[in-house]
Amino acid sequence: MEALASLMNGFGIALHPINLVWAFIGSVLGTAIGVLPGIGPALTIALLLPVTTQIAPTAAFIMFAGVLYGAMYGGSTTSILLNTPGEAGSMMTALEGNRMARSGRGAAALATAAVGSFVAGTIATLALTFAAPAIAEIAFIFGPADYFALMVLAFTCIAVVMGSSRVRGFISLFLGLALGVIGIDGTTGQARLTFGSMQLLDGIELTVVLVSLFAVGETIYVASRYRRAPGQINPLAGGAWMKWEDWRRSFWPWIRGTLIGFPIGALPAGGSEVPTFLSYAIERRLTRRPEEFGRGAIEGVAGPEAANNAAAAGMLVPLLTLGLPTTATMAVLLAAFQNYGLQPGPFLFVSNADLVWALIASLYIGNVMLLILNLPLVGLWVRLLLIPRPYLYGGILVFAMIGVWGLSTSWVDLLCMLIIGLAGYVMRVYDFPIAPVLIGLVLGPMAEKQLRQALAIGQGDPLTLVSSPLSASLLGIAVLALLLPVLIARLKRTAEAQPARDEEAAA
Amino acid sequence: MSNSPFGDPSLPVGEDGHPLRRSRPHWLGVGVVAIGVVWIYGALALPQTAQYARVGPGLFVLLIGAALVLLGVLLVVQIARGEQFSAQEAEDAMADAPADMPALLTAVAAAAVPLLTMRHLGFPLTAALSFALVARAFGSHRLLVDLLIGFGLGTLAYLGFAQLGVTLGGFLPLLTGR
Repeated sequence: MEALASLMNGFGIALHPINLVWAFIGSVLGTAIGVLPGIGPALTIALLLPVTTQIAPTAAFIMFAGVLYGAMYGGSTTSILLNTPGEAGSMMTALEGNRMARSGRGAAALATAAVGSFVAGTIATLALTFAAPAIAEIAFIFGPADYFALMVLAFTCIAVVMGSSRVRGFISLFLGLALGVIGIDGTTGQARLTFGSMQLLDGIELTVVLVSLFAVGETIYVASRYRRAPGQINPLAGGAWMKWEDWRRSFWPWIRGTLIGFPIGALPAGGSEVPTFLSYAIERRLTRRPEEFGRGAIEGVAGPEAANNAAAAGMLVPLLTLGLPTTATMAVLLAAFQNYGLQPGPFLFVSNADLVWALIASLYIGNVMLLILNLPLVGLWVRLLLIPRPYLYGGILVFAMIGVWGLSTSWVDLLCMLIIGLAGYVMRVYDFPIAPVLIGLVLGPMAEKQLRQALAIGQGDPLTLVSSPLSASLLGIAVLALLLPVLIARLKRTAEAQPARDEEAAA
Repeated sequence: MSNSPFGDPSLPVGEDGHPLRRSRPHWLGVGVVAIGVVWIYGALALPQTAQYARVGPGLFVLLIGAALVLLGVLLVVQIARGEQFSAQEAEDAMADAPADMPALLTAVAAAAVPLLTMRHLGFPLTAALSFALVARAFGSHRLLVDLLIGFGLGTLAYLGFAQLGVTLGGFLPLLTGR
């Protein structure tokens, strides 16, 4: 019940008029960038980071929460009406949602997506309310070796799960780690890998890397393979809103989607792809109208949308309780905390209880706001897509320049922008995942610090890293995560080869 | 040019109309190895152990460099065995199309322009140039209009962000001398 009292306190702060204004700004901005191609929540929050020098931390995080949730609402709108899922999490929504829109039921699809997001967001935020303090409590017993093991586990999961190839996933991760060591070493004050540049002594900012990889890399990539004919917007006209039947068919998929999304989102590298995919598969199996799947089944929109939203709340659990970002957006949020001199982790719930609970409360408020903003105003949001693409991408590059140049008006940062932007282009062409770079960049210095502390405590004995049961089992799981896919693939091959041999024997 | 990152329009086309990427981009793996070597070289210049902490500032860098070399070699081996790469999906982009070289180079130029102009011409003019270049890469042919829109956007952003306390350098450093 302590959590409830803290949450009420959080509501008191988040409902303050000025904070409501920030939540509104965040929600509007989030929905807009969710609808627009080329910009996602991670990039938007990174570009907003400079305001952290101007506004109070609570206000900033309330705004960022609005951007995070708003982007999901906006993303589902474009998946349904345009069949262009802006992010991995809304891919499944596009499958059935766009079919519904084409058969004139776009309004019902949008409604079940928005209400489902609202239901899931609310339940998941409630789960976050109770789960986060409990996990933070456990995290107090973590020593440096345990933290290091946890980060190794997170690195392994992220490199294995994201992208199509483990080698390329790990390359992305280690490129991020490599960028992370540039600058002055925190422990000894030695300059590392600065190539004689004074500006690099402070290291490479996350904003520079993120803006270059996402905004610059994406602009160059899309320019090189530009599809001149944009997708057709499906007319909303003639579409009936959700009928009683639709509500009845959506209810359980919402609940099931939430139950799948939240725990998976909370896992390191859980992300939003796996839960939305799982939810779609389950709804398809459980439905009484299998013939409708592939032709616009409302369950196929309701479930994945709920799972997507619940996963986003789930991702906040490792970030707030362990300081462990699992997606690009969470990595930026961690950077925002660090800008304020705050370190997410178990102590955050003690030292900055007001901030944490106001952030959690603002997620509820953001959900209500987004429901109001999105259902009646959907026609307005879709109009954003009428912005001519040359101007949209030109604008994205100009804002990228603001993000990079505004940091410290440094020419070296602009050079980094060009080089890393080109790298972002190459990574897109050859399908290297982008998020592991950012996670490596943010978590790398923390992992190194924990490693050195652990080794110092163990007087340099590497065995100290596996001496506690916790660290040993975390590292064990990491090895499993690395090897299991290979083993399963090998077993499958043997199993497939077996019947063939039997047939040969029979012949 | 078969192993350039920019695709090759002369690649053979498969039955489904998609180009068959038979390119073997070994340079990708070589590049990763090269980065690893630079990091190892940087690490060796640093002390590997420290008096008290036992682990010096160089060890972690060395580990990262070694991992990158190993991964680069693995990538070269994969490529030699015929690993296929399919470009990532993005809105507004045809992932399986070959790169449009003029558009690509124009967009790269837009990202490179600030290196030349930002310190002398200031933010609004640089924004105008970059904006117009990107617009051109996306097929716009109204250069003057694009420049004006870019300049307007840059000026608005310059003044707006100044209100937020984000400085974007001098407005036109050549004139004002700042």
